[in-house]
Amino acid sequence: MGRKVVVVDDNLNNLLLEKDLLEIAGFEVFEADNAADAIALVKEHNPVVIVMDVRLPDIRGTEVARILQQDKGTRDIPIVFVTASVLADGRLEIDSIPNSGFISKPINTRTFVQEIMKFIK
Amino acid sequence: MIVEDSAIQAEILRRILVAEGYSVIIAKDGAEGLSKAKGLKPDLVISDINMPEMNGFELCRHLKNDADTLKTPVILLTSLSVPTDVISALESGADNFIVKPYEKSHLLSRIEYIFLNRELQEHPQSQNAVEIHFSGQQYVITSEKKQILDLLISTYENAVHKNNELISVQKKLEILNEELEQKVKSVQTLNEDLIIQQGVAEDARNQAEMASRIKTEFLANMSHELRTPLNSINGFSEVLYDETFGPLNDKQKKYIGNVLSSGKHLLLLINQILDTAKVESGKMKLTLASLPTKHLLFEIIQLVEDMVNKKRLKMIIEIEEDLPDIEGDELKFKQIIYNLLSNAIKFTNDDGEIGLSAKKTGPSVEIEVEVWDTGIGIAAENMEKIFEGFFRVDTPYSRLTEGTGLGLPLSRKLVELHGGILTAESEGLDKGTRVRITLPIISGGE
Repeated sequence: MGRKVVVVDDNLNNLLLEKDLLEIAGFEVFEADNAADAIALVKEHNPVVIVMDVRLPDIRGTEVARILQQDKGTRDIPIVFVTASVLADGRLEIDSIPNSGFISKPINTRTFVQEIMKFIK
Repeated sequence: MIVEDSAIQAEILRRILVAEGYSVIIAKDGAEGLSKAKGLKPDLVISDINMPEMNGFELCRHLKNDADTLKTPVILLTSLSVPTDVISALESGADNFIVKPYEKSHLLSRIEYIFLNRELQEHPQSQNAVEIHFSGQQYVITSEKKQILDLLISTYENAVHKNNELISVQKKLEILNEELEQKVKSVQTLNEDLIIQQGVAEDARNQAEMASRIKTEFLANMSHELRTPLNSINGFSEVLYDETFGPLNDKQKKYIGNVLSSGKHLLLLINQILDTAKVESGKMKLTLASLPTKHLLFEIIQLVEDMVNKKRLKMIIEIEEDLPDIEGDELKFKQIIYNLLSNAIKFTNDDGEIGLSAKKTGPSVEIEVEVWDTGIGIAAENMEKIFEGFFRVDTPYSRLTEGTGLGLPLSRKLVELHGGILTAESEGLDKGTRVRITLPIISGGE
């Protein structure tokens, strides 16, 4: 099948874990460890979902989301934010982005893929 | 005779004279004075100068020009504000001057002197006129030499006296002035001290603020730095343990299982230590929201279901149907309930009983949640220790490695932050435990 997913995290271990879990479940996964690469990958591959850490080296994950949503081609791709502080002020930011959701860090390896799939249309 | 238009002044003077044994007549003005003098022939006339109808100078002149009263000595009371007063007095033929305000002793000695010298005045010599010029005016003085001298001396005496008074007042003023300067100086010094203290206090405050900010940043950084690698350890171990990438032999599974459980224990410990540090340094902020209390309680109960079943425990749930929502921090609330439930499970032997009850308290400002068990209980001497931190129990029922000893103290602090109370009860070892928390419906915390 190869439904495509773009995974974005500046921590390479997290990236590896998330990629492996998704690949085992049958997805084709593209990784980026910074915002610029992430945006490029999304535009190129048009994934069914984007999994993104809120804390990235260059800009905040929510900012990347806003950029992607301004582009007609990428506007409708659901974004799942991975965040350590699920209930803190950052939550308002996430809530303000349409077509988005969040899961908490550290990820539950046993339920990660299921949770991501909830966001795929 | 006193000639004085002020009744008070007259009375004061009268009393002084009467006290000395003199008899006194009073006249209210120059005219009355003149007629009384002619009639009653007093031995001495003391007269004020400024009076209506006839002033003191005029009176004196009349008295000296009248044969009946020619010999009567006249003392004029004056404020000596103008030098020409002296000349006027001489012109009028007065015998003496007393400057107002007068000193009693001075006046009395003058009067005595006059009476002593009456003899000499019995025979007035022929009057030689003396012409003088003063202040652009010409005056003719016809007083006796003695009169002139008397007058001048008494004037001089008064002037010196006034001067001395002035000098002493000046001296007092200088002393007061110095004292004032001293006081001003010390106030200035105090002021400077105060400004310095203010500066010191502000510095201290700035330093404290900076230290506080550093502490907050440190806690946040530590939190992130410690958790990140640990999440990797746990994540990878878990996936391996689940044989996601292929089967493991017994030893591999056992070992990776140990890595995973150690990692989870470590994560729990780190989380609890960081939370405790945050609470104790006052940096724990609650994210308050309206919590669906019933729903959250059932959520946690479901979370511990596996643990309950593994030990074949019977769990009794008594949650009030209309349990109100409370204002609180969702994560912290879940943390507290999870801690209490997992403790109950941990410290109860297989096939035992645990329970959770939740209800609104009487006056309806709080809810009460109670978690109880039929487990190993708490010995009376340990009741306080369980809240101190790192108190762990090694019994056949729970291995020492399981708990951190921080869960209960942290739960209590979190409950207190919400404005509630956490208490524990136990009848003793093996007699089970009850932990009760009350939480206000509207948060009384920060």
